[in-house]
Amino acid sequence: MLQAPCSRHLANNIKNTKMIDVKNLTKSYSGTTVLNIADLTINKGESFGLVGNNGAGKTTFFRLALDLIRANTGNVSINEEDVSKSGNWKYYTGSYLDQRFLIDFLTPEEYFDFLRNIHGLSKGDLERFYENFGIFFNDEILGKKKYIRDLSKGNQQKVGIAAALMTQPELLILDEPFNGLDPTTQIRLKNLLNDMKEQNGTTFMISSHDLKHVTEVCDRITILEKGKIIHDLKTSTDTLKELENYFAV
Amino acid sequence: MKRSSIWQKNIAMNIVLGFFIGILLMYLLLLGLFIDKLLEEISPDNAPVVVFNGILIYYFSFEFVIRFLVQALPTLNIETYLHLPIKKSAIVHFVAGKSIFAIGNYLALLVVIPFAFKVVAPEYSLFHAWVYIFTFLTLVYSNNFLATYVKRQLVHKPIIVGLFGMMVIVFVLLDYFSVFSLSSWFALFIDEILKSPVLFFVPVLLMIITYLFNYYFLKDRLYPDEVTVKKQAKVDSLSDIRYLKNLGLTGQLISLDLRLIWRHKRTRSIIYMAPIFLGYGFFFYLMPEYREMYGFLIFVGIFMSGGMMLNYLNYCFGYESNYFDNILVNYKDFEKYIRTKFIFGIVISSVCYILTIPYMFFGMDILLINSMTFLYNIGFLSYVLFYIATYSKKRMDLSRGAVFNYQGMGASHWLSMLPAFLLPVIIYLPFNWAGYPITGLIFIGVLGIAGLLFNKFLLIIVYKQFLRRKYMMAEGFRE
Repeated sequence: MLQAPCSRHLANNIKNTKMIDVKNLTKSYSGTTVLNIADLTINKGESFGLVGNNGAGKTTFFRLALDLIRANTGNVSINEEDVSKSGNWKYYTGSYLDQRFLIDFLTPEEYFDFLRNIHGLSKGDLERFYENFGIFFNDEILGKKKYIRDLSKGNQQKVGIAAALMTQPELLILDEPFNGLDPTTQIRLKNLLNDMKEQNGTTFMISSHDLKHVTEVCDRITILEKGKIIHDLKTSTDTLKELENYFAV
Repeated sequence: MKRSSIWQKNIAMNIVLGFFIGILLMYLLLLGLFIDKLLEEISPDNAPVVVFNGILIYYFSFEFVIRFLVQALPTLNIETYLHLPIKKSAIVHFVAGKSIFAIGNYLALLVVIPFAFKVVAPEYSLFHAWVYIFTFLTLVYSNNFLATYVKRQLVHKPIIVGLFGMMVIVFVLLDYFSVFSLSSWFALFIDEILKSPVLFFVPVLLMIITYLFNYYFLKDRLYPDEVTVKKQAKVDSLSDIRYLKNLGLTGQLISLDLRLIWRHKRTRSIIYMAPIFLGYGFFFYLMPEYREMYGFLIFVGIFMSGGMMLNYLNYCFGYESNYFDNILVNYKDFEKYIRTKFIFGIVISSVCYILTIPYMFFGMDILLINSMTFLYNIGFLSYVLFYIATYSKKRMDLSRGAVFNYQGMGASHWLSMLPAFLLPVIIYLPFNWAGYPITGLIFIGVLGIAGLLFNKFLLIIVYKQFLRRKYMMAEGFRE
């Protein structure tokens, strides 16, 4: 698999526009701090990978970024607007964290059509979306006359990820997107993500347990441990080795 | 890590509830201590025990209805235990038998125990008093198992509930036309047990049979995959409602709610209950004792046009608990979201109201009562229910099929809404005492109209409350 070209990344850096800006962010549950990020900036067009063991705070961080939980201190800003104060980020952010993002009593078609209406896309947009995602769906999603709840876990995951990509968002937040997908779909997803990055300059925030996948998609990788960012790496040919060494304790 | 929050929920509400429960228990105990005097008053010619036994069947019927409406069914996530080295029968026994620990089973003992010792013991013996108590208790258990069984079937095979209801109606009619009186046979039988305690085995047998009904019902549905295979439903075409599509976002949200209601057994069974709500009137308008009691008919009116609305508005966020995160991330306009829910609630209430208009054949005063309570429902009660809905934090797992899953039907929810139901009667009564009942009724309607006039303002209060509560709700729904 090809590495993402660095040129776009650099171009965005020169403009130096921040997509995500995290300041003094902490979240604790009854005294135990589960997340503590003092300062983190993700630039536009950057693909940001987050790795860490279970309970490191990855999902908590993503939920804070999507205003699903309230921070104890600090905030997350998307495009320089605090996500808990303004809802503007919803217009250009696509996300899929878990099954709770699916309306499972709808068929996939109904669900996509519903989201199309919520986001004010046209029927043509939807057709184009179906065309682009034909290979990704692999004839297992559309036209099956099944509710999402009756699909397999892997296919549900596909629906959720596709729904997040559907609006062609400028910012994409995915939690463990490769989990539960079959190998073919994992590769197709990687291709989709890399295409988006190249063609649209999409900014990513992706967490993963799979070090290989995340290094192939992201050009910046941070390691989260016990709620703190302890490493922040630019992806290079050695990154995978470095990560493997770190986690092999 | 502490994420559960049942106890810090609402201290004030718990105190109020505790207070009411305390009073209730005291009343029951007092009733038990002095019920013989009461019975002598009602029927001086018969021994109190005989009169008491005659009442029992009515008590059990009443208890059955209450259980059916209020009692939460025992649940257990069976899949978690299936792979463990526990006998399957043990798991099923646990789920089937759990309900006997419900506190409601033992409330009536507060009346029966004093009665048994004070009245039965002197007339027969102390031994008979104990037999009496245990007979009562086994009957309570039987009733409990019967009610849980019928309730389980409600979601699973509504037809059985229908048959059961018809059977009850047949017995009531037979009793009414003195063809066969189940109630007097039942009373005679309890008398008989006191005469020859050996007959105690009959209620015990009844208890075992009703228990086994539950046991085998659950046992047949132990394997989750078999249950889901059966209900792999065909996809319906509810998404093609043209009219709603033209309503823009509002239409989209309403059509989503319609599909939610129609595609889950739990919510669909509420629609099946609509005739019960709407049929309330028949019971009371036909009975001359109630026909002139406007205070009571106000209740009837509120339930008829408000019952279904209550089931929707009060649970509307809970119903969406499975995909609440999706809502928070995707919906840009929560104000519209809130307004749409409210409008849908009002539409439901209006449909119910229109269906009750024919009751005017019982008298124009009934139309007036139902119209005024309808206005109250949509202009006042609606906001209260909606506001309370933001306190829901329990995930309602509507998608996991019907068996082993019956959340959110507890009693505290209903109690917390009691004041809103009482208010119209409280408004009405002073007018009635002053001799202006009609003015009182109109006042109830005026309150509703006022609520509708301030619709914008009141919905903004709910909207702000939603913004405040959304994190708490989302967190609870994730648990």
